[in-house]
Amino acid sequence: MLIEVSLIHNNRNIMKITEEVRISDNGFVFNSRTGDSFNVNPTGLELTKLIAQGHDFDTIKSLFLEKYELDDLTFEKDFYEFVALIKHHQITSQEDPLDFK
Amino acid sequence: MEKLKYDKPSISKINAGMPSKFGLPVKQKVISEIDGIKVSSLIEEYGSPLFVISEKTIREVFADAKRAFENRYPKVQFAWSYKTNYLDAVCSIFHDEGSWAEVVSGFEFEKALSNGVNGSQILFNGPDKSKDDLIMAIKNNACIHIDHFDELYLLIETSRELQMKARVAIRVNLDAGVYPIWDRFGFNYENGDAWNAINRIMLAESLELIGLHTHIGTYIMAQTAYAIAASKLANLYMAIHRKFDYWLKYIDLGGGFASKNTLKGAYMPGNETCPSFDDYAEAISNALISSEIPHENLPVLFLETGRALIDDAGYLLTTVIANKRLNDGRRSMVIDAGVNLLFTSFWYNLGVYPTRELGHAEESTIYGPLCMNIDVVRDAIVFPQVKTGEQLVVERVGAYNITQSMQFITYRPNVVLIDNDGKTQIIRKKESLETFKNSEINPKRN
Repeated sequence: MLIEVSLIHNNRNIMKITEEVRISDNGFVFNSRTGDSFNVNPTGLELTKLIAQGHDFDTIKSLFLEKYELDDLTFEKDFYEFVALIKHHQITSQEDPLDFK
Repeated sequence: MEKLKYDKPSISKINAGMPSKFGLPVKQKVISEIDGIKVSSLIEEYGSPLFVISEKTIREVFADAKRAFENRYPKVQFAWSYKTNYLDAVCSIFHDEGSWAEVVSGFEFEKALSNGVNGSQILFNGPDKSKDDLIMAIKNNACIHIDHFDELYLLIETSRELQMKARVAIRVNLDAGVYPIWDRFGFNYENGDAWNAINRIMLAESLELIGLHTHIGTYIMAQTAYAIAASKLANLYMAIHRKFDYWLKYIDLGGGFASKNTLKGAYMPGNETCPSFDDYAEAISNALISSEIPHENLPVLFLETGRALIDDAGYLLTTVIANKRLNDGRRSMVIDAGVNLLFTSFWYNLGVYPTRELGHAEESTIYGPLCMNIDVVRDAIVFPQVKTGEQLVVERVGAYNITQSMQFITYRPNVVLIDNDGKTQIIRKKESLETFKNSEINPKRN
C-alpha cells in the first residue's frame, strides 16, 4: 500500500484493472479469474472507471473535488481505502511493481 | 455549478446463495433520540461515552412484569436485584414501584438500608456473608437465605450470641432441566441436602425458617424450567408442613429471566426468541397453583428478576474514533467505549446503531478504545460507513454493565437518568484523577 501510494503521488499510476474483470455501467463487477462478483456504489464505479482509464491520483482527486461536496483529506482517505479494497479483491493488479526491466 | 452530494466509494462482494437468514434485506435501525431527547444533545451536555438510563422504560417494563404475575397468582412480591444495577437512583425507582431489595453482600445490604429499605424487606443471598454481615442482617430482621452448612452453623452461633431470632430461608439447587446445574450455590434438592438443612434449622431455637429460595441460572430461555423448580419447592413446602405442622411464608424463584439481548451464537435475535413475562408467569403460577399446596396456604411468590427488568432501560452513547481496514480487507472501526464499560459484550451480540440514516453497510468489527486485543465490542456486524465523530448508540445495556464496569486505562463516564418528565440529570459522575487520588496512598520515601 505504501509503495503504491508513493508511486501514485509521483504521478506514475502503476495500477491497472485485471484483465479478467468486467465492469458494467450499473455497478456490477465480475472477476472471471476468481469467480467473484461485486457491487460498487456510484462513486466507487466512477473511481474504478477512472483508474481503468489510467488516470493518476492527482487527476482523479481534481475531478472529484470539482464535482462533489468534498475536502481533499476525506477524498485521500477514502481513495486509498477503496484502492486497497479493490486490490484485495484482485480487481486491480500492479503492472510492473518493481519496474525491473 | 452546484456540487453533488458525496458518498464514500464502496464495494461489496456478492455472496450468491447466502441471503439474510430472514430472506429479507436488512433495514438499518436508527436510534436518534432517547425518550424524546436527541442523542447529540445528550453527548454535547454530558460527554462521550455516556450511559443513559430511562426511568420511563424502567417503570413500563416493571409494570408489564407485575401485571403478568399478579394476574395469575394471588401473592407476588418483587425484590430488586442490587447486583444487576445498584445505582441509588435506579434502586429508588424500583423501591418506589414496590420492590423489596435482594442483596448478595454486606456492601449491598448497607446500600439498601441507605436507600431507605426496611431491613425486614431485604433478602440476603450469596455465599459470602461474614459474621459482621450476619449480625447486621439479624439486627435488621432481614430474610437471610442460607447458602451452605458452614453459614448455617455460623448463623446459629451468631443468633445465640445476640440472643435474637434470625429469619431464614435456604437456597436450594435442583435439577430443572437446565445444564450445567448451578449446584455451587445452596443445598441440593435431589440428594437430600436441602431436607437435612431444613431439619437442622427447624431444630434451632434461634432460627425461624420462613421461606425457600432457588435460582436456577441466568438467561433461562425455557420457562418450563421454572415450572419444574416451582414444583420441587412446592414439594419441600408441603413436606415441611407434614412433618412440622408449619406453613412457610414464601417461595422465592430467584431471577434469571432472559432479556431481549441476543446471545453470541444464537441463530435468531433475542427479542424474537426470549419468553415474555407472561410465559414465565404462566409456567410458575400454574406449577404452584396446581401443586399439593391448599389454595388458602399458598406462599407469597418472591421474584428477584434483574436483567429482564433493567436491560432495556440502559443505553450507552459512544463516538467513532477511527475507521480501519484489517489486513484481509475487512472493515473495522474504533469507538470510545470498550469492554471495560460493556462487560456483557463478552456474551451478547449487543445492538449498536447509528443515530441517523447512513449509506452503504458492510460487515464490520467494532473495537473499543483500550490498548488491549480483547477489546472487541462487536464482531461481524453489518454496519454502515461512518466518519470519525459519528455518534452511535448501544442499546440494552442496563443490566450488569454499570455494576461490572472496570476502571481500566481511562475514566468511567457519566451516568445520566432521563426522568419521567423528560428531564436529565447525572446520577453518577464521571471519574477524574481526584477520584483515585482520594483513595490512593503513595508512601513517602526519604
